[in-house]
Amino acid sequence: MKIGSRALLLILQNAPVILFLVLLVVFGLMSDRFFAFNNFRNIIIQAAPIAILAIGMTFVLLTGQIDLSVGSSMYLTACVVALYMPDMPWPASLFAVIALGALIGAVNGFAVTRLGIVSFIVTLAMLFVLRGIGMWLSNTRTLMFPDQILTLNRATVLGIPSAIFAFLVVFLCAWALLTQTPFGRQVYAVGGDPDSARKAGLPVSRIVFLCFVLAGICAGIGGFVSITQIGAVGPKYGDQVEFAAIAAAVLGGVSLFGGRGSVGGTVFGAILIKTVQNGLNIINADPYVYPLVTAAIIFLAVAIDGTRTRIIERLERRTIRPLQAV
Amino acid sequence: MSTLLEVSGLTKSFFGVTVLHGVDFVVRPGEALGLVGENGSGKSTSMNILGGVHRPEAGTMRLDGQAYAPQNPKDAISAGIAFIHQELNLFPNLSVEENLFVDAFPRWNGLPFIDRRAIRAQTEAVLHEVDLDIRPSTPVARLSQGERQLVEIAKALSRKARLIIFDEPTTSLTRPEVDRLFGIIAKLKARGIGIIYISHALEDVLAVCDSIAVLRDGHLAGAGPASEMPIGRMISLMVGRSIDTIYPDRQTAPGKQVVLAVEALSQPGVAEKISLEVRAGEIVGLAGLMGSGRSELARMIFGLDRFASGTIRVNGQPLDDPTPEKAIEAGIAFLTEDRRGEGLLMDFTIAENTVIASLDSVAGPLGILDNKRIASVSREMGRSMHLSTDKVEETRVKHLSGGNQQKVVIGKWLRREPTLFILDEPTRGIDVGAKQEVYRIINALTARGSGVLLISSEIEELIGLSDRILTISRGEIVAEFNNRPFDREAIMAAATGQRAWEGASA
Amino acid sequence: MTITPVAETATGATQPPSVLRRLGRLMLSEYFVLVLCVAYVLAIAPFVPEILSWEVASNILSDMMPLLVVAIGQTFVLIIAGIDLSVTAIVSMSAVVGASVMTGTGGYLGDTAFAVPGAVLAMLFTGLVIGAINGFSVIRLNMPSFIVTLATRMFFAGAAVWYVTFHSTSSSIANLPESFAEFATGHLFGIPLTVIAAGLIAVVAHVVLSRTRFGRAVYAVGANPRAARVSGIPVERTILFCFLISGVCASVAATIYVSRMQTGSPIVGENILLDVIGAVVIGGTSLFGGKGKIVWTVFGVLFLLLLDTSMKLLGASLFAIYIIKGGVILLAALVDVARNRWLVGR
Repeated sequence: MKIGSRALLLILQNAPVILFLVLLVVFGLMSDRFFAFNNFRNIIIQAAPIAILAIGMTFVLLTGQIDLSVGSSMYLTACVVALYMPDMPWPASLFAVIALGALIGAVNGFAVTRLGIVSFIVTLAMLFVLRGIGMWLSNTRTLMFPDQILTLNRATVLGIPSAIFAFLVVFLCAWALLTQTPFGRQVYAVGGDPDSARKAGLPVSRIVFLCFVLAGICAGIGGFVSITQIGAVGPKYGDQVEFAAIAAAVLGGVSLFGGRGSVGGTVFGAILIKTVQNGLNIINADPYVYPLVTAAIIFLAVAIDGTRTRIIERLERRTIRPLQAV
Repeated sequence: MSTLLEVSGLTKSFFGVTVLHGVDFVVRPGEALGLVGENGSGKSTSMNILGGVHRPEAGTMRLDGQAYAPQNPKDAISAGIAFIHQELNLFPNLSVEENLFVDAFPRWNGLPFIDRRAIRAQTEAVLHEVDLDIRPSTPVARLSQGERQLVEIAKALSRKARLIIFDEPTTSLTRPEVDRLFGIIAKLKARGIGIIYISHALEDVLAVCDSIAVLRDGHLAGAGPASEMPIGRMISLMVGRSIDTIYPDRQTAPGKQVVLAVEALSQPGVAEKISLEVRAGEIVGLAGLMGSGRSELARMIFGLDRFASGTIRVNGQPLDDPTPEKAIEAGIAFLTEDRRGEGLLMDFTIAENTVIASLDSVAGPLGILDNKRIASVSREMGRSMHLSTDKVEETRVKHLSGGNQQKVVIGKWLRREPTLFILDEPTRGIDVGAKQEVYRIINALTARGSGVLLISSEIEELIGLSDRILTISRGEIVAEFNNRPFDREAIMAAATGQRAWEGASA
Repeated sequence: MTITPVAETATGATQPPSVLRRLGRLMLSEYFVLVLCVAYVLAIAPFVPEILSWEVASNILSDMMPLLVVAIGQTFVLIIAGIDLSVTAIVSMSAVVGASVMTGTGGYLGDTAFAVPGAVLAMLFTGLVIGAINGFSVIRLNMPSFIVTLATRMFFAGAAVWYVTFHSTSSSIANLPESFAEFATGHLFGIPLTVIAAGLIAVVAHVVLSRTRFGRAVYAVGANPRAARVSGIPVERTILFCFLISGVCASVAATIYVSRMQTGSPIVGENILLDVIGAVVIGGTSLFGGKGKIVWTVFGVLFLLLLDTSMKLLGASLFAIYIIKGGVILLAALVDVARNRWLVGR
């Protein structure tokens, strides 16, 4: 029985990857355009903004918190760039976006760690406030972006399209931060068991605070990459994006309860979602079924994860006496 | 001979109750001191003082000849004192090496990156010292309980601990793991590290320790080299107090009818072919160490945990695939050992808790609750339980004392007039007066014809109350004692897994 | 530490000015949000005297109803420490299903005597089914309710849009029977029918939560599922029922929306999710479960609507309303934190 469970566990553990491979095969069989190099490049370009956002979300989720404000944060930073920096070179805009994102994250982090308000409520309120400020600044008009930003979309770095380059930079930084630095490992410790972390003398509040700041920064960068692609933003820009980011992270194996997940997984989740949409597009599926298929895949992945957790719990049930030899 | 730790005249009281009366003991480098005593004898208080959690009112501690007065747990750690608790303080989602250094990672060339090579080398070194052959990058989640404990020891070594305190280290270990642990402890001693070993498993204490100190009611009841402390002597020092007075006389004798019949209950790794019977009006005591499977057995009968095979009958009726709902319907009540987590809804009022397991009896048509009736039955419960307050509708149970909380738990179940009451540690953490109340209630219960399955860590309590005592060890019933007066040494020995006492079983 | 009036009264408990003490007592009272509503109306009345007019009041009342019904269902789910993000999708799905049943242009029961009752049943059934999917996923598949309902929200919001394409050439289903519109416009004894319906639901929900076995079970499961289980409470069934209630409540709200707009649109109620959760939490229901009341939710919804209406009367733009709404949610949470700290300190 135990061996059977272990084998099942192995399958469940890799379920999202298996799901991904199945999708590739299905789409590949249905259209020969799917397996083109250009198509994969497009998928990654399309996935870049949401993936960057989701990477930031990963930090917050790893500590067991949530950030619902990233979509509005994205909108507000875009408004600021369009309204106040039309003649500035793009690096200045990018810097402004990062600084503003960090500030928003700091407000969230402050309210959660110092005022002791639940992150769900803090960031829900910020969702309203930030969007309101953005609409106020822009007078709820649709804003156009200057050429120096729009040309970024076609620019390449070392032959890599700018969106993919930005995505790679954020990914590598986040990966290094989470896996190679003391801070990153302490993020996992805090999310895994806040009480033990406190007992071990870790600066729990500071770690949570910094994670919100990072999520804010990623929202700014993700928004910036996205505006180079779409060129104009209306008052609905970034609406519901927070849910897409959470979905990508969860699909990639990040736990909502903290302590489990990786940026690699999150990126995989974001690409998986875009692949589904791209594949449906290529096989000329009814556009109405896109959200249905996406939702079904998220549901499936999380249901599998739930089953996996149950099996692990059963396997790890405390034993009092030695088990008979397996 | 030099001493590592010298404790003298340690005194401490909580809320006016003195729990430590001038306790002295000494730990020498390279030696293990066994600290034994029943729950509430002062073991954990003295260890909390040593660990900087509490401060003593009187008494001194000297570590390596220096005065030692920790103000907080950090002081204790930096002084070289490490605790290996029953509940380990590891992060299962991190690797072994990361757990060792999580609060102080070495940096790589001054950059903000972890020096992986350094922590790997240091981890490998300490893992080697505890004979743990795993890769430092293994996630702790994949380790067995025994391996995790060795990781904790390795962590202590990596922090240059001079004194390591083990608190019930063997309860969740398998026998080979226990042997392995003892080997490591011997190695630690050889390196000159001092050990304090706390356990209810007296056999283990003898196997590990060089000297033994026995605590009873906050006093040092006796101390000496292990060679002069056979198990029998330890037990009589531990339970030395006269106990006849606090246990009320039983007016009625057990009946004939079997209210609970468990047959060949098995669950891999937890229980092996457990069979037992409880008759109407009978109190059956279940003696065993923490982690022996005694609570797990109760949880399986009540439908909280699953079991692989075996049958349970209540009043002759089979209880198949039990769930708590079915078990309650069949007439079982269960007082769990975790009063705050499972016994009560701490934010609810006394009245709400009183009726929570018997809502059907206070609900009218459409399930509408009769608040007047709830108030009156709750007040009635409060009176018969001698509760400290009669404001049952206003008082939340979290504001009650432990003893009063326990009375509410019992009162809640008595409303169902159970045919079988399973009591798991009914008097843990409550004062003597409340204990007597609980004993009185248990007796009254049997007089009404209910059967009782009583689980307790306190042997005297079992002896004072039970008609029959079963001992359980590592998931098996190992002995049965049928006749008063019970031989407490024999029961304790059987519960601690002493094969020699098996002859005593009837 | 945070500096709030409450914290000050707490520390200076020996000789607090009686005003502060009274304020403190008020903040701890059940009716705090209602008092806040009254205070708000009084404060704002000099600037927008219309708010005291019968017309505005009755507008607020009837605007409240769909939101209130959804919020009542959400209250049940929040008390068991869950969350239901799918309510807006349930509203949309129910709306288009109901409309497709009763529309005069090719509806399943269009132009028959059963059009309206059939449509209402279909809508309630839709809510029940989605609620059941949510509930079973949480209890059987061991999934966190946040993700379950996030997925069902995406799914059914998309499905509602798609569904319309089979029944209409435009983006919504129109030509609904006129008798159905009467639900939104009709009155009984001078009271709008929707208010009667929502009021009835609120009263029933209040009685169920505060006075029945089931209600007790809901609180127990939310406060401590382990202790509830040991006491013989059917934990899983209770969780399932709460999601069913939330689903049905959302579909009842859908009947109100459809009747008022006379069209079954998949974007109906698209934007109410954050209002719903915001209103329940402003009322004082905890996101961690075990604590919450229907009256609190009523006050919370009332407060949010007062805010909305007064801002509109003041000529505030949408963005100002957003900012103020966010600020109020934050403030309510802060007050709640302060209240709890003070309660613990007592």
